[in-house]
Amino acid sequence: MTETITFRQEVLNLLHASEGNPINFCIQCGTCSGTCPVAGFMDHSPRQIIAMINAGMKEEVMNSNTFWYCASCYHCTVRCPQEINITGLMYAMKRYSIWKGKYKEGLIGPTFSEAFVKMIVRTGRSFEPVLAPSYIFSFNMRGFLQEVQNATELMLKGRLPLLPARIKRLEKFRSVIGRIIPMGGLE
Amino acid sequence: MKEYAYYPGCSLEKMAVSYHLSAVETTGKLGIKLKELEDWSCCGATAYSGIDELLSHTLSARNLAIAEKTGLDFVAPCSACYKNMYFTAVHMRKDADLAEHINFALEEDNLHFSGNVTVRHLIEVYVNEVGLEEIKSKVTRPLEGVRVAPYYGCQIMRPRKDHEDVEQPQFFEELLAAIGAMPINYPLKMRCCGGSLIISSRTAALSMVRNLLQSAVDGQADVIATTCPMCQVNLECYQQQVNQEFGTNFSVPVLYFTQLIGLAFGITPKKLGMGKEFVALAPSLLAAGKANPAHSKP
Amino acid sequence: MTKRLLMIDDDPDFVAGIKSILDSAGEFEVDVAYNPKDGLKALQTREYDLLLLDIMMGRGAEGVMIARKLRKDPKLREMPVLIITGMREQIAFLFPGEPIHPRFVEVDELVEKPVEPKLLLEKVKSLIKTAEARKVNP
Repeated sequence: MTETITFRQEVLNLLHASEGNPINFCIQCGTCSGTCPVAGFMDHSPRQIIAMINAGMKEEVMNSNTFWYCASCYHCTVRCPQEINITGLMYAMKRYSIWKGKYKEGLIGPTFSEAFVKMIVRTGRSFEPVLAPSYIFSFNMRGFLQEVQNATELMLKGRLPLLPARIKRLEKFRSVIGRIIPMGGLE
Repeated sequence: MKEYAYYPGCSLEKMAVSYHLSAVETTGKLGIKLKELEDWSCCGATAYSGIDELLSHTLSARNLAIAEKTGLDFVAPCSACYKNMYFTAVHMRKDADLAEHINFALEEDNLHFSGNVTVRHLIEVYVNEVGLEEIKSKVTRPLEGVRVAPYYGCQIMRPRKDHEDVEQPQFFEELLAAIGAMPINYPLKMRCCGGSLIISSRTAALSMVRNLLQSAVDGQADVIATTCPMCQVNLECYQQQVNQEFGTNFSVPVLYFTQLIGLAFGITPKKLGMGKEFVALAPSLLAAGKANPAHSKP
Repeated sequence: MTKRLLMIDDDPDFVAGIKSILDSAGEFEVDVAYNPKDGLKALQTREYDLLLLDIMMGRGAEGVMIARKLRKDPKLREMPVLIITGMREQIAFLFPGEPIHPRFVEVDELVEKPVEPKLLLEKVKSLIKTAEARKVNP
């Protein structure tokens, strides 16, 4: 049995149950990067990040903002001539970096995802105002003020909930989660 | 009267309440009842899969299991909810181990999902279930001369489900034509609005919104029609921020397709939740000259 | 007699560390599977005296799926399972301060990463011993 594994294998293992071809099928055609609406904001384009994974550049990949900038629009995925599930790969990299507690400094994505999921396991539904503190202080002054202005206008138009929604069978809901993630919920 | 197991999703409770109101009003006119799913929970948007995909499928499956009990087709108005539910159902049908494990968890809530639920996006109900002819027959105030940019966005079309055309679909245009409007052709109708990035990668998202608005404005759109609450909020509520960031001057109304259908059906704007927009539809489009009752069919 | 162990864990660095601890004892032969799929295949093809199992792998907490599957398999039901998990570090923000409780999975032991070498060897040996006693005297 394999003694140790490459970084590519490590990433493939995250996708062991996924559909689509493994990333070593990549022919570096660049269709993904040309399609990606966010590529210009990424440290490394999707094509590059796949090449870097295949080349075993673990540190550089884990420190890249690429997967945290993925908008999950699946445009690359439907166009990939090698039928690689690139969006699935980006999700897998997000997971891996959260589990390892290893991501590029200054990113809002990881903290925001954590806050979002934490809110859901507590109430069962999304309630926007609870999330604001997880990101608003990372914005610059202009962004902060714009966000506050937006929230105020939404409230005036009656589009912001003032009380968090809660599902009725919350205890059972949490027990369901406790069987998937064996922490909390059952004690 | 045909019934659907209706999953509004978190946004439609408040942020996108006008989508909910207009969906209920217009389906009502078409003899359809949207029966809200009992005690539904969040679909996870894009956040769960970035932490735990099994959890993501489980929380979707909880809603599917509740829908399965009703024996009705599942319908979601939000593209992100729809995509999550659709693919959880696909994965659970294909992967027996996954289904067994998730159902083991659902036992805690006395639920079970065996895969026997058809998952639809709301727009499918109009286009495929009701059909364009039926919709045409209910139009009393055709939106004549109103130039509408049909914005498909991402997750109603992608990822691909079967062999359907995900590059240049036409059903949204056909639906708009059926209510008398003039669908415009613009290159970015399938592009992402950056909805999931507006918080985490704001600069990127605002630039995506700008590109989309520019594309629609270049096509001389009077209004953009959306099929998703995330897209609506992003394209409309962030226009001001786009203008501040890029020195642009956008002022394009962004409505739900159901609101446009409602107007064409002669439902009063108030019942369609209108008045909650950041950018209001020009009164001229609402009344004289364009969608005017005087122009309606005899 | 050399005991044969299987370790299912997705983290090559952690695997290397645990392997060197187990190798230093000189009594174990350790096979490794780095994903759940290969792990289940290995369990079907060879006989093992103990399984060392990670929780967070692949799509999520797949270690739980494996353990449950094992406990339902007549051939593998009796096999001792030692869960070694870093869950508290990995996703503890979801349930801060709450315990990890794989009770419904019926595993034999659970230790948290990072693992104390001495404790690991003790647990491994005692689990194997208990399992053998159970075999002789069910």
